[in-house]
Amino acid sequence: MSFWDKRQSVLLLAALVVFHLILISLQVPRGREKSLFEKSVFFLFSPVQRAAVGAVRGVRSVWVHYFDLRGAKAENRRLKEELFFLHQENRFLQDRLGLFRSEARVRESLERFREDLIPARVIGIDSTNPYRSLILDKGSLDGVKKNMAVCDRFGNLVGRTIDPVSLREAMVQLITDKESSVSVMSITDRLVGSVTGRSSAVCELRYILASTTGGREGESLETTGHDRIYPAGIPVGRIISIEADPSLPLFRKILVEPYFQFNTLDAVAVLPLLHGVDK
Amino acid sequence: MRETILKDIGRAVLCVLAAVLIYSLAGAAGPSVLVVLNAFAIVVVFFSVRRGEVFGAFLGTACGLVQDAFSLGVYGLGGLTMTLLGFWTGFIVRRIDVSPFLRHGAFLLVMSMLELGLRMLLTSVVRQEAIHLHGGLLLLQPLVTSWVASSIFAAERYYLSRRPRA
Repeated sequence: MSFWDKRQSVLLLAALVVFHLILISLQVPRGREKSLFEKSVFFLFSPVQRAAVGAVRGVRSVWVHYFDLRGAKAENRRLKEELFFLHQENRFLQDRLGLFRSEARVRESLERFREDLIPARVIGIDSTNPYRSLILDKGSLDGVKKNMAVCDRFGNLVGRTIDPVSLREAMVQLITDKESSVSVMSITDRLVGSVTGRSSAVCELRYILASTTGGREGESLETTGHDRIYPAGIPVGRIISIEADPSLPLFRKILVEPYFQFNTLDAVAVLPLLHGVDK
Repeated sequence: MRETILKDIGRAVLCVLAAVLIYSLAGAAGPSVLVVLNAFAIVVVFFSVRRGEVFGAFLGTACGLVQDAFSLGVYGLGGLTMTLLGFWTGFIVRRIDVSPFLRHGAFLLVMSMLELGLRMLLTSVVRQEAIHLHGGLLLLQPLVTSWVASSIFAAERYYLSRRPRA
């Protein structure tokens, strides 16, 4: 019996381990850029995920629309009421905007905004840590590109599109991801800093000097647009605690709770690219 | 021989598709479910016990790399831990008898715990950071993986014992 026959399985294991170690090592100089191999695997298997989620949604939809109609009347009434108030709010905001611009220009920019907006559905969550990324059912064929801001249905910031963007699917880096950073400003005391994720349900507001006054618990944060990825004025989250940071005495330790919630994250909006952003 | 290899490749592809399917359904149920239920590990463990260490190692590689493609983590890290999980599960199960339900469950629990421990270790070495435990929820992952895989085996045995023999 040859050496190969005797040690076949161990040699195969060694070859596979070496293959993985090379794969991991290759990423070290490349930084965050995804390899062609990784992109190919994503391109190949994301349609399976899309089909699985589509099938479940289909079954649920049949149940909700044809069999379980309890509460539909009450929900309809509530939605009509909500729509009424949204119409009024919309008209009020258009009037306010009209003070600064002509009505024709306001209508034109609203139309353009609606055309550029890409509605998408979430078909998957990060397989190793749900607070890092999402997968959407819209890809390059639908106009999705890298670095587009993503908001939930209430207009709160969720994250931005990153590589890989396949033909019909795209990956989104959440603002809760440890490697994400968003330029923000608090709406009352005008503290300007950067919201960074911790790969958990809570984020951190960084680079606020310990000597800075202002900032309070419950205060809302919104994007400034300085990072040239996220448009200005998008709600991000609210401050939940402010304390001194013993490890970094120069800065304050401010924790932020993002506004977006996983249970309302089935539908999202992909916003158009800001001018000057690397495509 | 060639036919067997082709059959095994076909089986592995089906297994990976099954893992993606379970992972997608778990993701639809909510992020906490994804933390406690590692669909890829369940598929790797289940088929490594059935088909042996070589098949387990290759399936672990495929499932791990697909799992990594759906994540922002280091690509290949999940592949490495799943390969080792598949290989050692298949290797040990051929040498010791783990057929009783409790022994089977305990064996899979140990294997899943080792896989999680290795993943934590590699993450801390490669990324220089600790893996997020999600308030301790992640520590339940080996328990859920072993329990689900053992239940599938028990259900399969029950079904086979009740099926009339030809």
